[in-house]
Amino acid sequence: MNSRLYIFGFLLVICISCKPKFEGSEYSPGETNPERFLMLGGTFASGYTDDALFRYGQEHSIASYIHKSINDVSPTTFNQPLVEEGSVGISTNGLSRLILGYKTDCLNETSLSPVRETAMGDANILNNIYGGAPFNNMSIPGLRTGNVFDEDYSNQNPYFARMSSSPTSSVNDDFSTLNPTLFSVFLGLDDFMPFIKSGARNDSLPDPTLFENNYRQMLDNLTSSGAKGVISTIPDISSAPYFTTVGWNDLVLDSANNATLNSIYNPLEFYFNVGNNPFMIEDPSANAFGVRPIEDGELILLSVPLDSVKCYKMGTIFPFRNEFILTNPELQEIRTHLGIINDIIRSLAFEYNLALVDAEQFFSNIDSGFPFNGINMGTGFISGGAYGLDGIRFNARTNALLTNEFIKSINQKYNASYPMINATNLDSAFFP
Amino acid sequence: MLLTFLCLLTYGNSFSQGYQVNFQGQKQQGMGLAGTAVFMDGSSLFFNPGSVAFSNENSINIAVTPISGNTLFIDSTTGQGYRSNSPIGTPFSAYGLFQLKDHAKLKLGIAAYTPFGSTVSYEDNWIGRFALTKLQLKAIFIQPTFSYRIADVIGIGGGLVISTGDVVLEKDIPVQFSDGDFASASLSGSALGFGYNLGIHYDLTKKLSVGLNFRSKIEMNVDDGNAIFDVPESLDPNFPDGTFSGALPLPQVLTFGVCYKANDQLTFVLDVNRVGWKAYDTLAFDYALNTSSLEDTKSPRMYESTFAFRGGGSYDFNNGLSFRAGGGFGFSPVQNGYITPETPDNDRWYGTAGIGYVFGDHFSIDATFYYTQMTRTGHNTETGLSGTFETKAIAGGLGLIYKW
Repeated sequence: MNSRLYIFGFLLVICISCKPKFEGSEYSPGETNPERFLMLGGTFASGYTDDALFRYGQEHSIASYIHKSINDVSPTTFNQPLVEEGSVGISTNGLSRLILGYKTDCLNETSLSPVRETAMGDANILNNIYGGAPFNNMSIPGLRTGNVFDEDYSNQNPYFARMSSSPTSSVNDDFSTLNPTLFSVFLGLDDFMPFIKSGARNDSLPDPTLFENNYRQMLDNLTSSGAKGVISTIPDISSAPYFTTVGWNDLVLDSANNATLNSIYNPLEFYFNVGNNPFMIEDPSANAFGVRPIEDGELILLSVPLDSVKCYKMGTIFPFRNEFILTNPELQEIRTHLGIINDIIRSLAFEYNLALVDAEQFFSNIDSGFPFNGINMGTGFISGGAYGLDGIRFNARTNALLTNEFIKSINQKYNASYPMINATNLDSAFFP
Repeated sequence: MLLTFLCLLTYGNSFSQGYQVNFQGQKQQGMGLAGTAVFMDGSSLFFNPGSVAFSNENSINIAVTPISGNTLFIDSTTGQGYRSNSPIGTPFSAYGLFQLKDHAKLKLGIAAYTPFGSTVSYEDNWIGRFALTKLQLKAIFIQPTFSYRIADVIGIGGGLVISTGDVVLEKDIPVQFSDGDFASASLSGSALGFGYNLGIHYDLTKKLSVGLNFRSKIEMNVDDGNAIFDVPESLDPNFPDGTFSGALPLPQVLTFGVCYKANDQLTFVLDVNRVGWKAYDTLAFDYALNTSSLEDTKSPRMYESTFAFRGGGSYDFNNGLSFRAGGGFGFSPVQNGYITPETPDNDRWYGTAGIGYVFGDHFSIDATFYYTQMTRTGHNTETGLSGTFETKAIAGGLGLIYKW
């Protein structure tokens, strides 16, 4: 037996030297100067997720991750307008962040669901925290391209008011103080978002000429001292769980409900079957009654009151109101418009010789689903592992993956080799 | 003694082709893992039951070959490196060879050996954690064997193979507890399979012999495995602990061997293996309790049948001492797109060396050394894991023979 022990010992000694060597990678900033990095963006880049601005989201935002990569190559300061640790955050409606909890519905069924952490959000975190130094992350929830030069903006957006250098300074004023040497812009989605989120009812789509002028002036300012940078196209957000969790034909009828609906709608020449059926929606242009079945491709927003759907005949006897629906013509309009705006961004990237991220492609990859180191990424609500609990914004893992698109783009354009973020171990949702 | 020996051993390694393990005889290991066309010792019960007909001894032979392998995985996206922390594997073999009287034409034998297995585990939180954290696969073959010399120059032999196996597979699940820890799954089970080992040996001349050996495929079916999930309480209904069934093929191996005895001292051997890895096309798990989160899985493996070429020589001094050396080349059954952390495999060269000493009429001892390294870059289409696996493995074997 002793001889075996010796052999084990002998092998152990030899095998210290028989491990494959790991050299690690060499990093370089290439032609970029990362000394003063600026992230300029809207909701996504600010760290707003789970429908609130809160500390964790900020620390796992695209801005934070890009800086983490930069910092590995060349340590630089990164001043973020962080909210207090432990705060429940605050949403655009004054509510706290969403967490996973249990909810009992009108059928008295309790299930796992996103719930507000507390009844109200934490309004204290909206107090101004500007400390004299410009912020490196000038991403502001809701920031539109047109707001960048608005000197009244802090009166319109409390998320900017909390970080602006003065009540009359514009976003442009504040980031100009930083005099960035390297910038990253993920702006434009919020130009579309209010229109999309309201079922194409409120607000309007951005005017292309105005958009181009604003974007151009912003780039003029950013590049005036020779800074390098990356900008991004605007993704089609309509594949996010917020728009796809309730399917157009998720109306399942038993024979009783089937008979009821047929008796109501057969005179309008709409027919139902036992099993899956399209929901009914309001559409003034459809017929004299302004009602029709929703069509394949049309989207039902997660803002629908689900209890009304389950127990109070919403979507059937009482058709969905237009604010909960994106119809095919509306989607067509949004997508065409998105194409026009993205063409503008692409040509500006070319004109200003900047790196460009194809965010559309990235979102579309998630829509088709792909395996990522054993994780099946997709647009399933929570189960898809990509989006946060609000069904629109990304979780930490996907923020890191999108960050890698920015880094890849910077690396390619400027012969740099900033490291990619390991998104595998980053968080998705925490289950009770 | 034999039983103690078997019980003490943990087992396996992941550094042969696929999950094949080729440490079944110390003399053959010294000569590049070849020796199908010559009677060496009791280990020929494995290499070629036909050769055993040319023995003239009763013997007991036990051997163990501790192997230590280290794999480094470098992720293609981040450039970060992660290491395996696999335990030392201990493939073993034990042979008993008997004849009823001297120079009898019929020989009987019993063999126990470990021709398939793999034990591989990776460091905590490694980037492939959702593909695999640990695999432990053991198969022990028990083979009662007969061998008969049907002519002065021809021997045939055959054995029934009873295979018992255990498998443990662990990985993390990409859902998190409230404290951020990831959930995990552990699948374990055991299986029993049957097969056979046939061989023929032909002395073409006094110096030159050939051998042909066929070891059949054995399908290892796990019918009542345990699936255990460590998940957040709220997901318990989604991941119910329960049973599963699955199967793993242990492929057939056809070997043609040549042996040339240049003189009384010097012997050369050459083996060519054809391994029927094509049998391993899918790794499927069929869970007794399915839910929307826990569906049956079918993971493509798409192995291809492969060749391996092995050769070596031995020089016997008159004082009972022998020196051996050899090497070989094996093709990997793993195609690009199907590389897994279970078998970070590639085509590889290897080298071996051995030494033997005979003490008087009854005892002899053999020791061997084996080294290989390989690098495999590629990805897995199912998991998306993409990068480079670098592996180095070193093994030292020791065998004891008592004969009478």
